[in-house]
Amino acid sequence: MSNNRVSRRQFLNYTLTGVGGFMAAGMLMPMVRFAIDPVLQSKGAGDFVPTDQKVAELTETPVKVNFSFEQVDAWYKSDVTAMAWVYKEGDKVVALSPVCKHLGCTVGWEGDKNHPDEFFCACHAGRYHKNGENIPGTPPLGPLDEFEVEEKDGLLLIGPVRPNTLVKK
Amino acid sequence: MLFTVKDVSDFLANKPFIDTVIVPLVQIDLSEDGIKQSSSASDYLLNLTNFIEHQFKGRIMLMPPITYLKGVDQSGAMLLFEQKLKEAGFKHVFFMTSDHSLTALQQTHTVVWLPSIPLESMDATVKNKILEDQLAQVIPVFSAKWSQA
Ligand code: FES
Repeated sequence: MSNNRVSRRQFLNYTLTGVGGFMAAGMLMPMVRFAIDPVLQSKGAGDFVPTDQKVAELTETPVKVNFSFEQVDAWYKSDVTAMAWVYKEGDKVVALSPVCKHLGCTVGWEGDKNHPDEFFCACHAGRYHKNGENIPGTPPLGPLDEFEVEEKDGLLLIGPVRPNTLVKK
Repeated sequence: MLFTVKDVSDFLANKPFIDTVIVPLVQIDLSEDGIKQSSSASDYLLNLTNFIEHQFKGRIMLMPPITYLKGVDQSGAMLLFEQKLKEAGFKHVFFMTSDHSLTALQQTHTVVWLPSIPLESMDATVKNKILEDQLAQVIPVFSAKWSQA
């Protein structure tokens, strides 16, 4: 034990390197974090949320699928229930946002007897084709938004909303 | 539309489209054996009116609720409110309440009475189902008024 005596100089060296190292790390960490933050960030609104809908049970007829997620508005946390119109187009699952592109009412599938096979907005008689394309001459000015979808264990997951990709212009 | 700056700006820009307003009427009963039921009814009514607003955002403006103490007459306040709302450009004014005594005012106002349902004992899915059912009940009242105009 006595052959390994630590001299005063060595002791100071060790401690200073140690402290200096901590200080350097303290300064560098936030910078590194900042640089790679998007990678580390825990996901919030962009998540896929589970639903009760079995993908195998979907057909070509749009059905309502509810899903809920937590929304934080300043200090106020709440569980929001939202809805999507979901159907199958061949093998592809399509989930459309029910929010009318006019002033934001909730649209219904075949909500009007005179216009089968269309989405209908009861507020000001806005109409959309099945792929979400707005029908000219009715108030909405754009197509219904679309949700990203995923499948997990046979159940449908609903992801972030994005502009409609089905409507060809 | 909600009574928030953002929605009110949308309202001002789209006045002819947003022609309907909902005013929730919430009775407050502070008596020992009424206060709990009163809070439950209030919670229910505010949930339901918010749900309706969400469905008809582009046509309906939901006002902050009028609250009043049990037994205090509301007819004067409602008359004035309705008159001012019409002056502000709303065509249809719906008062919604779970206070049955207000149905007496159905001669002069559109009062939609909805017996309250205790939502507090329900999980989110059931709650949503109930609200959807209740919505289905009120939609005909709205469409009837809308098609009159
Ligand atoms: S909000 Fe849908 S048509 Fe006006």
